[in-house]
Amino acid sequence: MENNIALSVNNLNKYFYDPETFQVLKNISFDVKKGEFLTLIGKSGSGKSTMLYVLSTMDTDYEGELFINRTKLTGKTQNELAAFRNAYIGFVFQFHYLLPEFSAIDNVMLPALKLGLKSKEEIKENAFQNLSLLGLKEQAYKSANKLSGGQQQRVAIARALINNPSIIMGDEPTGNLDSKNTRNVFEIFKELTKERGQTIIAVTHDEEFAQNSDRTIELADGELLRSE
Amino acid sequence: MMTGNTNSKIAFAHLTSRLRQTLVATMSVTFGISMYIFMNGFMNGVNNIQADLSFSTMAHIRVYNDLPEDRTNLLKQHTNPDQVINIRNAKVIQYTDGIKNSEKILDRLKKQPEITGVTPQVNINVFYRNGAIKINGVLSGIEVDSEDRLFKTSTFVQQGSWNDLSYRTDGTIIGAGLAKKMSLKLNDNLVVSTADGVTKSFRIIGIFKTTIAGVDNTKAYIKINSARQLLSENSSFVTDVQVNIRDYSKAREVADKLASSIPYKVEAWQVANGQMEATTELRNILAMAVSMTILIVAGFGIYNIMNMTVNEKIREIAILKAMGFEGNDIVQIFLLQSLVIGIIGGTAGIVFGFLISTAVNHIPFQVATLQTLPMTFYLKDYTLSFIFGMLTTFIAGYLPAKKASTIDPVIIIRG
Ligand SMILES: Nc1ncnc2c1ncn2[C@@H]1O[C@H](COP(=O)(O)OP(=O)(O)OP(=O)(O)O)[C@@H](O)[C@H]1O
Ligand SMILES: [Mg+2]
Repeated sequence: MENNIALSVNNLNKYFYDPETFQVLKNISFDVKKGEFLTLIGKSGSGKSTMLYVLSTMDTDYEGELFINRTKLTGKTQNELAAFRNAYIGFVFQFHYLLPEFSAIDNVMLPALKLGLKSKEEIKENAFQNLSLLGLKEQAYKSANKLSGGQQQRVAIARALINNPSIIMGDEPTGNLDSKNTRNVFEIFKELTKERGQTIIAVTHDEEFAQNSDRTIELADGELLRSE
Repeated sequence: MMTGNTNSKIAFAHLTSRLRQTLVATMSVTFGISMYIFMNGFMNGVNNIQADLSFSTMAHIRVYNDLPEDRTNLLKQHTNPDQVINIRNAKVIQYTDGIKNSEKILDRLKKQPEITGVTPQVNINVFYRNGAIKINGVLSGIEVDSEDRLFKTSTFVQQGSWNDLSYRTDGTIIGAGLAKKMSLKLNDNLVVSTADGVTKSFRIIGIFKTTIAGVDNTKAYIKINSARQLLSENSSFVTDVQVNIRDYSKAREVADKLASSIPYKVEAWQVANGQMEATTELRNILAMAVSMTILIVAGFGIYNIMNMTVNEKIREIAILKAMGFEGNDIVQIFLLQSLVIGIIGGTAGIVFGFLISTAVNHIPFQVATLQTLPMTFYLKDYTLSFIFGMLTTFIAGYLPAKKASTIDPVIIIRG
């Protein structure tokens, strides 16, 4: 395996058994390079979210193999995977999930506090920078449940970036954003891949967003269609 | 360390965001612990009162000369089939009554470290007489000082004074019921006659009233030497030695120990009063059962509320896990919440339990020697209630926490 591969999947198959057995992902294999900005498109129900959960190590109920940074993650325990996610993966959910009792900045700080590599002051400073970058300077100390949908989504992005993960995965990370904020997030992602060598895998329905990324792959009925 | 802080911060956020539920859970712990304290304090109080009342007429251990052994079947000892035995008119020809040289035994008893008081007695079954009235009773020859030390007899004397007995060789202090039955009052004469036909007259210098009618109706006290004279016995004769020890519940053990070095019957109070031991034990079991039930009910309260919290916070738990929080972090977050509830509720429960106990201890209850309802304030009960309370909280909190830690984040997030 080449040294510049960030993520690779081999022969990924996944089934849902309820209400009836149904193969949602069919024999998927592909690699993502380090520093690559990859977008994933496909019709609603084609299996994009499902695949992203597998790639993010949250879903372990699949056939095939998953490697990130040349570490084989298939078969590891839940706690090992949790620690791995904390350090190497940033995730933006399709429906931005924040802890409602905490302020925006506290939400952003959580993964870094869990990782425990930096002092609290340093983490707070980084969190504030991330929020500023996403245009949320004023909202930093607001309680998460008092933010608009788009603001919450940007807080979730800021949180995904806090530990400088080697891979950032987003399930329609700009789905709730206006065009100006979408462009801003796109620029941030672009910069992270180019300047810091972080890898991005983002599901999107936004044609322009996909076209401007480094590479786009498409899912149709659980099969990988094109890989340009 | 870092994670510990973060977990406690999350736990605290959960507690404060659901203040009402937190309060209800805390109150259920408070209720459980205060009831535990109250129940045990009250039961101990009742037990102590019963012991106080009983031990005002009975010592913890009694040493006396038992009747000779059962000889109704004398043939039993002879097993040689070749012998023919004929027994006619069997009777006991020699039997020593009482304890002849009591000094040695008294000395030995007084040297035991667990013994707190010893008093010798000469108890005689007599007939009290006043004209045509004739009543069966017990004349108790006692040492004025040591008798009072063991039984606080002086506190029961209603007319006259207990200490007067020490310089009135012909004086007697009689039970109120006896005085009434015999139509006698202070300074009258009480005539007694023994089974051997000796008759003597005593001057009534006091009247006492205990809480036990059976005693008041039949008992009279005289000086121990007067009793010896009545029986023509020398100055070391006693019928009973009454012994009090430090902890009355250990009477059996102490009696067993003494028995080996004393050639007379050494009897613990429990032997003669099985019913009192039984009721004390049963009350203790009842108090334990009731207070444990209350604590378990309180535990279910916490369990329920923590379960609700877990269900309500299930999405947040999923997010935390998705962000890399491990199962142990989740257990910590929820266990911490129940521990905080336990500690706050427990501390409040101790204060509240003390207040309830104090209040009940002030409720008037004028029966026997009581003025108010009895209550004890033992550190042991307060400590145990807190330990049991924390244990219940821990278990009640651990189960939902464990459940929360096994949540699969994908299932929740996928919706
Ligand atoms: N828990 C589940 N049990 C059974 N089937 C499921 C489950 N979750 C998703 N599916 C099905 O799997 C397929 C893929 O779902 P998925 O959420 O991955 O689609 P998607 O590509 O992300 O769609 P969208 O663009 O609308 O988000 C769908 O047909 C969906 O109905
Ligand atoms: Mg989806």
